[in-house]
Parts: sequence; C-alpha cells; structure tokens
Amino acid sequence: MKPLRIALTKGRLEKDTVGLFEKIGYDCTAIKNKGRKLILPVGDNQFAVVLAKAADVITYVEHGVCDLGVVGKDTIMENGTSFYEVLDLGFGRCRFALAAPKGKHFYEGYHAKTIATKYPNVARGFFEAKGMDVQIIKIEGSVELAPLLGLSDAIVDIVETGTTLKENGLEVIEDVCEISARVIVNTASLKLRKAEIQKLISEMEQAKR
Amino acid sequence: MKKYNKITPEGTKDLLFEECLTHRYVERLLANVFACHGFHEIVTPGLEFFDVFHFDSSAISQECMYKMTDKRGRLVVMRPDSTIPIARVTATNLQNQSKPLRFYYTQHIYRNAPGLSGRSDEIMQSGIELIGASGKRADLEVIVTAIEALSKCVPDFRMELGHAGFFQAIAEQLPIADHWKEDIRATIEAKNYASLDTMLDHLEPSAAVDAMRKLPRLFGGKEVFEEAAAYCLNDKAAETLDYVRQIYEALTVLGLGDRIMVDLGLVQRNDYYTNIIFSAYVEHFGDAILTGGRYDNLLASFDSPMPAIGFAMNVDAITRVLMDKNKGKKIPDVDILVHGEDGYEIKALNYAANLVEQNLRCENSVFADREETLEYARKMGISRVDFVGDTIETVHRINL
Repeated sequence: MKPLRIALTKGRLEKDTVGLFEKIGYDCTAIKNKGRKLILPVGDNQFAVVLAKAADVITYVEHGVCDLGVVGKDTIMENGTSFYEVLDLGFGRCRFALAAPKGKHFYEGYHAKTIATKYPNVARGFFEAKGMDVQIIKIEGSVELAPLLGLSDAIVDIVETGTTLKENGLEVIEDVCEISARVIVNTASLKLRKAEIQKLISEMEQAKR
Repeated sequence: MKKYNKITPEGTKDLLFEECLTHRYVERLLANVFACHGFHEIVTPGLEFFDVFHFDSSAISQECMYKMTDKRGRLVVMRPDSTIPIARVTATNLQNQSKPLRFYYTQHIYRNAPGLSGRSDEIMQSGIELIGASGKRADLEVIVTAIEALSKCVPDFRMELGHAGFFQAIAEQLPIADHWKEDIRATIEAKNYASLDTMLDHLEPSAAVDAMRKLPRLFGGKEVFEEAAAYCLNDKAAETLDYVRQIYEALTVLGLGDRIMVDLGLVQRNDYYTNIIFSAYVEHFGDAILTGGRYDNLLASFDSPMPAIGFAMNVDAITRVLMDKNKGKKIPDVDILVHGEDGYEIKALNYAANLVEQNLRCENSVFADREETLEYARKMGISRVDFVGDTIETVHRINL
C-alpha cells in the first residue's frame, strides 16, 4: 500500500506541523530542503507530505487524494463540508471577530447592515444565528478598508493581536469564534487505514502537549 | 450572446467507449444480482414535485435540488433520491399490494453540488428497497445482498455497520435541549473530538457525558463491542448494541474477516435512517460507494407507516474504480469487415447479418473502393475483410 498522504497548509502551519513531526521523531529533511517540489517524503517514506494552499488542503482531503490534512479552522468554517476533523493542534491560534469603526454603535438602528469580509460563509452563519439579515460583500484584500471607505458598516475578519484594527480606527465588537490548526481526515481513508491513521494522530496529540 | 453549445453543464459528462461499456456492465451486473433475489425493477419519474422531498426528517436540503416549475407554476425537482419516490409509490398506488415489496432500481439522481468542487451533479445509482418488513431476517437479507453486489464488482471493499439508535439512547440521558443534542450529534458525525470535548466540558460530568465523549472513537473491529458495553447506560442502548453485535456475528459466517467494521459514531444528520445503518468504502475513492440502512419512519411521511430497509450504490464511482485498476471492459474486436462491391450493397448487408447470426462481430464498410476498405481494416486492427460481389472473397490479416 502506498504511504499515507498528508496535505499541509503552506507557510506557518507547515512549519509548526514539521516541528511537531520532528518532535515525534520523523525525519523531515526533505520538507526543509524542498526546493520547488510539492510532494515530499517524510522519514523513511513513512508518509508523504503535500504542500498546498489552505482551501486546497480541504479539496484534496475531501476527494481522498490526500488522506489527512492540516488546515486552519477558519478555512474549514469557510469551505468545509464532509470529512473528519479529528484533532485540534493548538497552534496557529487566532479568532474571528466582528469589528466596526470605533465609537459607532453597530447594533443600533434598523437599516440592514453591510458587512465586508473575506469569509462570506462565516459571516453569514454568524448573523444567521443571531437572526439578523445582513448584506455581505466579499473583499479579497485588506478588509479594514471597507468601513473606512464607507462601503460597509463592519467587517468579519481574523484578528490576531488587534493592532491593524486599532491603527485603522476599528474595534472589536464581538468575537465570532476561536481558530486554530486542525487535523482533518478523509472519511473513506479513516475507515480503510484506521490503524495507521490513528497511530499518527495519537503521536501528534502526544507531541503537541 | 455567449453560447454554451460546446460544453456540458458543470458536474455532468459524456460517457464514451470503454468507460461507457464498463458503466453498462456494472449496471447489468448489479441488476442481475438484485433480480436473482426476487427484487423487481422500478423506474420512477425524473421529475417529481418538490413536496415529495420536503418533509421534516428529509436528508435532502433544498439547496441541493435542481428545481423548475410545471405548467401550473408548481415547484418540480429533478429526482434527487430514489428511496423517497419509491416510498411515495408504495404509500399510494401500492397500498393494497401484499407486503413485503422488493424493488431495485438503476437510475440517475441529480444534486446541485457546490460550484467547481469536482463533484458530479448527475449520479447513476443502483440499489434495492425491501419495504414492509422489519427484523433481523430482513436486515440480514439486505446487507448480504449489498455484500454480494459489492463482491461482484469491487471485491476489495470494507463495510461498516452502525446504528442510528445508539446515539439517541445515550442522548436521552443528557439533560439538555434538543438543539444542543443536534450540535453534539454533528460533532460526533464529523469525529470532531476537539469541539465535542469543548461542548461536553460545559455539562455536568456524568456517565452519559463520558459516553458521548467516547462515541466517535467507537469504531473498528469486534473489540468495539467490548469497549461500547461500558457505555450502555440504559436498556435501549444495550439492546441496540446487542442487535448490531448479532448482525456483525451473523455476517462473520461470510468469512469477510476485518473487512466488516463497526462504527457507533455513524450518526447521520436529519436522515430518515432509524435503525441499523451501513456503508461501504474502497481504495481510491474518497467517499462511500454504498450507503444504506433501515428507515422505519419514512413511509409515515406519506401517511402509510411501515418498516423498510434499502441501500444505494454509486455506479459512477464503481466504474471509475474499475477503470483506474485497469479492470474496465475492453471494446471487443470486430471479427470481420464486410465490403459490398458496387451493386452488391444489399447482398453485403444480408451477408453481414448472416455472420452476426453466427455470433461474429461484423462491421459494414462504407468506403467505395477496396484499397480504402483495406486501409481502414489495417488502421482499426480488423483481421479479416470479406468482399461481397458475385462471390465472396476473404482477405486475412496475413495478406493485408
């Protein structure tokens, strides 16, 4: 049987996950000296790591071309549908928050609010749960601009330290939820290769402590 | 105006040559298995009223249905599922028919999948429904039929058993509102251990909370029964577990070994499944290729309560797996190319018909001269050409 394939979100999550693998004792030299390669063996070919953009990690795992994936909860909330989400790795911590220009009373008034966000599904879900009907505008770049330019009343975005918000005269009105890196598993893979996958997951669970 | 006359809608595709042949082969193979066990073929309309699929425990959300309106403005959908229409026809036209009823089908279902996700919107499903029968005998019959059908086309499958009632039995013990239970169920379905723990941490510690925590991990082989025994908090849970064990043990006779698994965390959302549930997986396909279970409440949605069980198989997926493994059907060779000389066209067609009667595969040459016919035979690898004129002249490959 071919080695398990794990899709890692390129960038910070990739580095943190590699750190975790090394802590477990897997040789990650190939990932560290990857060059332009995108599929890389780990250890003694115990498994293969695939480097991808966050949303693509989900796509690969959903289709079963990768057995496992490491991806942020933000991406799961925005794109995810059918896979197992088996482990919270604890790193890549930040949160989704609703933010608006400082001093504005966001919930006041009866006009339908306009929300700018990179995460329309997350924003929609948040306001649906509140029973609020809002208009959502998808922005690709710096979302903070939208309320400053008068395009939206508020934004839903990832907040780490809050510095960017502060510098642009915005403040957090409400937290939407916490975010961290998760291990996801393809449904069929978990059933077909239970022992291997569970071993790896419990190793990761031990090592993250 | 932009014209879309050279592409197919997203999620659909053309089936050609080997793939088409393999597809039809799988359809026939499965139909034959089902027919041999006394199941009758049923074809339900491709268009149905939206209302048929729109009831409380329906697993089909309105977003995923293709909708249009009929001549009187009523909402119509392209068949998104086959079990529900079969329940509809059972509850109406077949009310007075003696039970049980055994049906099989091979038909497309249509789902409006999210854009650019690579999923099919048109899926060929083949499956059976055994309606008006409850109990172990009926359950075993359907599961064993599923195993037989799988064995015929993808022998390297894994099948897992679960029970919709195990979660419910434990959830009854939790002193929380139903929407909370639904949230817990969703995290168990997703095997989302982290958020399940977070949710359960808010509750008073109890045996039921511990059991919920453990539920998504209760999958695997026989050992699951031992592990789960500790979490049977009431008679209902114990009965449920015992029933799954009985089915599991009965199936061990088939010698499938560890290819039969148990997953007590198999708790599908809003599904019409009420009791034993099962699904099957194969390598190289990231989703279940067969799903099924008992749905004793579905017929009640059509005012004709009765027990029923069935399953559906994804014929497209099976075809893909066979093609990937190079086990697809090969296009059979043409045995003879028949060329009619000028004025002998009808004679040639009759001659070809005669050869076909003898179980030979014959193709008619549409070319005017011999040289072109021979060239075509060479290109297509046809080893024999018969020229039909006053006499029949046969040319074999050696002479080509």
